[in-house]
Amino acid sequence: MNNMRLSTTMRMLKYLPLILIMFLIALPGCKERKESDRITIRFVSWKPNQPEVWKEILGIFEKENPDIRVIREIGPHSSTAFHDLLTQKLKNKSRDVDVFFMDVIWPPEFAAAGWALPLDGMFPQSERRKFLDGTIIANTYKNRIYGVPLFIDSGMLFYRKDLLDEYGFQPPITWNEMVKQAGEIVKKEKQGGSDIYGFSGQFKQYEGLVCNMMEYILSNGGRIIKLKTGKSGLTEKPALDAVRFVRDRIIGKIAPEGVLTYQEPESLDLFIQGKAVFLRSWPYAWTISNDPEKSRIAGKVGIAKLPHFKGGKSYSALGGWQLGISSYSNNIKAAWRFVRFLTSNRIQKLYAMKAGKAPTRKSLYNDPGILNMNPHFAYMKDVFISAYPRPVSPLYPSISNILQRYFSKAVSDPNSDIEKEAASASREIDRIIALTK
Amino acid sequence: MRISINTREEVFAAVLLIPCLLFVAVFAFYPVLYSVWLSMHRIILSLPALGRKFIGLGNYVELFKDEIALHSLANTFLFVIISTLFEVLFGLVIALVIHRHFRGRGLVRAAVLVPWAIPTVVSSQMWRFIFNDKYGLVNFLFYGSDVTHYRAWLADPFFAFSAIVIADVWKTSSFAALLILAGLQAIPNELYEAARIDGANAWHQFRRITLPLLRPVLLIALIFRTMDAFRVFDLVFVMTQGGPADSTNVLQFYGYKKMFAEGLMGYGSTISVLVFVITFVVALLYIRVIGSGLMQGKV
Repeated sequence: MNNMRLSTTMRMLKYLPLILIMFLIALPGCKERKESDRITIRFVSWKPNQPEVWKEILGIFEKENPDIRVIREIGPHSSTAFHDLLTQKLKNKSRDVDVFFMDVIWPPEFAAAGWALPLDGMFPQSERRKFLDGTIIANTYKNRIYGVPLFIDSGMLFYRKDLLDEYGFQPPITWNEMVKQAGEIVKKEKQGGSDIYGFSGQFKQYEGLVCNMMEYILSNGGRIIKLKTGKSGLTEKPALDAVRFVRDRIIGKIAPEGVLTYQEPESLDLFIQGKAVFLRSWPYAWTISNDPEKSRIAGKVGIAKLPHFKGGKSYSALGGWQLGISSYSNNIKAAWRFVRFLTSNRIQKLYAMKAGKAPTRKSLYNDPGILNMNPHFAYMKDVFISAYPRPVSPLYPSISNILQRYFSKAVSDPNSDIEKEAASASREIDRIIALTK
Repeated sequence: MRISINTREEVFAAVLLIPCLLFVAVFAFYPVLYSVWLSMHRIILSLPALGRKFIGLGNYVELFKDEIALHSLANTFLFVIISTLFEVLFGLVIALVIHRHFRGRGLVRAAVLVPWAIPTVVSSQMWRFIFNDKYGLVNFLFYGSDVTHYRAWLADPFFAFSAIVIADVWKTSSFAALLILAGLQAIPNELYEAARIDGANAWHQFRRITLPLLRPVLLIALIFRTMDAFRVFDLVFVMTQGGPADSTNVLQFYGYKKMFAEGLMGYGSTISVLVFVITFVVALLYIRVIGSGLMQGKV
């Protein structure tokens, strides 16, 4: 008898895994839902560089809005990886997204795909006028607005103030001047036994390459997409010359060949190790290169507009992040309150002072508190105002991949056939643009 | 009506198989068939106005006219051939070594498995550091502390491609070694004893006994490695992102870009289906051409 019962138990045990699995499958279904009169909104964010500042900001919001609870979901740090995660959720019409970050190049894509909610009703013209123009243009698609800009980025030239002073140079106005100065400083420094390169930037095959190359092309009077015809301008002389200049005078010359593998962090490393005279990067590099704990050149850094070619004018690629609201959100009102809060004067000010991020509201560029912490902002306002967006298209990711491939092929091989590569990239870009017409 | 015990057991067995079949259907057949279905449509996520248009084999026609796809296909083939060859070769050598009796063999056997145990993303990151242009180990080995000669290996199309092959060979040779070691252990010792009595030297023993008896295992290692190598993705994703100049762009990475970055669901699926078909055909070929004996049970 006893024996029988035991064997029954044993037999039951055999099915234990099966029972467990069924239990696990059934589990989410009967998860208890907590009753609460608070509205929960879900905020999809990248991994921030300054988590403590974000903690403070969210703390203020919850204190002032006791009826709203914010759940933050943190995604990857890299823009491309974050894009893949976020679009995956939006593709599936996930209800778990209310508010999300958008990189400056995404609004047309998110608008056309129907993922981002048009905000015209909540974000009127009168309010939009208070933001930098470029940031509003970047968030507008077919006359409707899809995001509220939170902070802005643009390409800048960082230089070693001490070295330029020592050799009697002013910050370069043209790319040729920069090459000349870099060459001379490197030569003399090397005679003194110091190992240094002239220039550092981002030339790996990825999004940053498009920003870097665009700045050369535009500052030579070229265009990636021609304004009048809306077609590729890559095969025109100014664009071809600019690309050739990067291949022949920058890569492997004043810049180490390694820049072909560099994204932002690697290029900045070279600079803050004191191994580069010039660096092309985004404003965040200012704070880090002047931090004596991270940088060997703290206090020796200067910042300037990017150079241009003779006869052209300086252009910076426009970067920065916006907040959007999902079309599939159930809590649009609460979501909007959150977005309005994050992009308000005082939070942008706090963010600028504590995280060094450049605000999008024009008036903040006259704010003594911000300028005290970030003296370079006063000077950079010009650059921000003239910053130029990358091609605006819902198919921008496809265009970017074509550009990345073209630029990488053109500059990483000293014998590349630039005309041929440009022609084939142009054909593909025009084919993509035609799809959206 | 009485059901015989045998039938009852068969029914019971069939019932027990249902969950497993369901599992395979849901997680293997459905995704594959759905990919094939998607690949016959034009779906551009950011242009919903275009809808889901059925275009039959249109995407496939485009694929074979797409120079970048063909280039990445060629890259993939090159990668597969070179890396698989070295992996099986090194695997064989490693297996022969750790099959012998020596002091500390257990330790060495465990150590051999370490590369295989490390997740590819982690080892890719490690290799990226090893090939770094400023502090990489490779530079240190070649040039010591003479930093002025350090090279940017991953900036050079040829070396970047080689680096990916090397990283893959490093990681998966141990897997091949493991399979081959199991094969070695199945060879009866008497054969070697008899051969030795007949006066065969080590080379003869290897040629006439070890190699023929290892054939089925070598085949399995080849199949596994070839199919796995075709699906190479993480190495490229972490180490080079397909660059420089598209020299390390492989089919899976290209498909990922199309699908996840560009939102071309139809065309992206077409690339996935191509990878699937190629691996399937390769497996069939191996079994038909090399392994015909194996399948009939005579090795």
